[in-house]
Amino acid sequence: MRKFIVVSLLILSVLLISKTLTVIGPWAGAEEEKFLPVLKAFEEKTGIKVEYRIYRAEDLANLLPAQFSAGKTPGDVIFMWGWFILDQAKKGHVMEVSDIISEKDYLPGVLNAVKLNGKLYGAAYTGKVKPGFWYRKSFFKKYNLKVPSTWDEFVDLLEKIKKIPGIKAPIASGNGVGWPLSDVTEHFIITFAGPNVHKDLIEGNIKWESHTVRYAFEKLVSLLKKGYFGEPTEWTMALKQWWNGDYGLYFMGSWITGMVDDPDDLGVFALPGAKGVVFGADYAFVPKYTKYPEEAKKLLAFLCGAEGQKYQVQQGGHIATNKLVPLDAYPPVDREVAKIIVKMEALTDLDDSVGGAFQTAFWDQLKLLWVKPDRLDDVLRVLDEKMK
Amino acid sequence: MKKSKLSHFLIFMAPALVLIVTFVIYPSLRTIFTSFLDENGKFSLKNYVEVLKSRDTFDPEGFSRGFPLGTLLHNLIWIAIHLPLTISLGLILAVILRKVKGGNILKSIIFLGMVMPMIVGGVMVRFMFDGSVGVVNGFLRIFGIEGKTWTAYPDTALFSLIFGSVWLWTGFSMVLYSAGLETIPKDFYEAAAIDGATPLKIFFKITIPLLKPVTVVVTIMTLLWELKIFDIVYVATMGGPGGASNVLALQMYTYAFRELNYGKASVVAVILTVSTLLASIPLTKSAGELR
Repeated sequence: MRKFIVVSLLILSVLLISKTLTVIGPWAGAEEEKFLPVLKAFEEKTGIKVEYRIYRAEDLANLLPAQFSAGKTPGDVIFMWGWFILDQAKKGHVMEVSDIISEKDYLPGVLNAVKLNGKLYGAAYTGKVKPGFWYRKSFFKKYNLKVPSTWDEFVDLLEKIKKIPGIKAPIASGNGVGWPLSDVTEHFIITFAGPNVHKDLIEGNIKWESHTVRYAFEKLVSLLKKGYFGEPTEWTMALKQWWNGDYGLYFMGSWITGMVDDPDDLGVFALPGAKGVVFGADYAFVPKYTKYPEEAKKLLAFLCGAEGQKYQVQQGGHIATNKLVPLDAYPPVDREVAKIIVKMEALTDLDDSVGGAFQTAFWDQLKLLWVKPDRLDDVLRVLDEKMK
Repeated sequence: MKKSKLSHFLIFMAPALVLIVTFVIYPSLRTIFTSFLDENGKFSLKNYVEVLKSRDTFDPEGFSRGFPLGTLLHNLIWIAIHLPLTISLGLILAVILRKVKGGNILKSIIFLGMVMPMIVGGVMVRFMFDGSVGVVNGFLRIFGIEGKTWTAYPDTALFSLIFGSVWLWTGFSMVLYSAGLETIPKDFYEAAAIDGATPLKIFFKITIPLLKPVTVVVTIMTLLWELKIFDIVYVATMGGPGGASNVLALQMYTYAFRELNYGKASVVAVILTVSTLLASIPLTKSAGELR
């Protein structure tokens, strides 16, 4: 009996003493399954237990300010928008991690989003590229379609797809809160207004109603008016419909490779003439109120270091931000993405960088533009108002 | 003796008073106070001017161009359509199902919309009006009408949400009216029938007047719900497209949690509170008179 009590007490004390870190991230379903092995690798390496919780960034934006104000945190390492991490860092809620993250190991400029006065308050995990329009190779083969190399060829391709019986529209329009529409719009801005205009828009140096930005939008609007884009549909549903042949093309990020049945059937092309591509890194930070600061920093260093990122890119759909990740770690399907981005300038995501009320307004206005392309003037005016 | 009575009164009231002061009175006063603070913490009317002048709140151009019209008008449209529809449908269903065999089962099914969390209701509304999988378009296709995703278009988004919410809320008024109908003495109906009154006359001259206290309660509760409507809109359209289905509560949320501007969010909260009081005080008063 005495032995039993002693053993029970020992087990209880071990359970109480053992530290469990909580990681909060946005990945659910297939994406979560590909993230969990990375956490498992950390557990095996360090013996520190890690628990994963799913929260959308939109929900975290509501939850975290109140929790931080009360000196609490729901997680020890949290994945969140770069602009939000910086905002909270300015308020003193985020731990500095310059001592564990070496900037020279990362892609140039990728850590700028979490840098304040030369100090790092977060780190970049892997990223996703938004390379262009995805298509099924089997679909293109069946209908004898070719990847376009000029704008006219692109419009011809859309016209050909539109004439295929049973097709709802040539391009699927992913919806939800609206971010998929912002991705394709940014691709048009980069292609027809240029990477520098894209950067200027982020920094507020140029107006949305300016001639160059309007020109890019007019290109997009010309396609919307011809019915080349489908009706905005919840993006995972649109993905299934596109895969089943209801649409010919789908503009989506590189994570799509992890969401389809046969990634080898995937092909992708950028708009002819595109000189840049959006590279959206996932950022993580350690809140000041974590109970285990050293362990949390260790986890952040692992996740954002070469080892953690290697585990993630091996699963497919992710591109490393850490330069020390070897190229042979990528599955073959991601190399096609890599081929596209190697010739182009990597740009940060526009709405993720600006953030705040502008981000939701941008998504919302694009939802309007998609169904009422003749209201372009209204849309651009509102975007200028929301940028202020 | 009087002193001990007062002390007893205070002792018994204290827990409730502490809770009310902490969770109702203080936050309300604090919200009003915050609404008058500008970004530098100075007392001013700047937030009120900005919110009331904002196109998000009232957009007169919408009358010529089409939606959005601004959150203030969107809430009013919501009330103008949703309130009479839910009240009349609830009353009609309560009266019809009262004498129908299996009426209670049907009532339970209708009440399910009310039992469901409104967030789930919002998701269902979104899918109900979806172009591919929506039940509304499925129904229209029977008549050869090709539908669309009704929540995706500015002209139909708000109306889709309103009609969807009628389905969710009708169960509430139906249940209250059903309870109210049970309180009307049967003698009234028998006497009216003996006097030769038609069923329609009985409905308008006996049922409706005697259900007036219930109508007042249903109206107040529905009105308050319509003014603070948030969850359905947030989930189904997020106020879009282009703000075409935005409402005051969602505008408050956007100011607070996207713009992180608590002053402007507090202004909308004050507007909502004042509207609620303006709507509910006369109705509560008339309910008191009826008693």
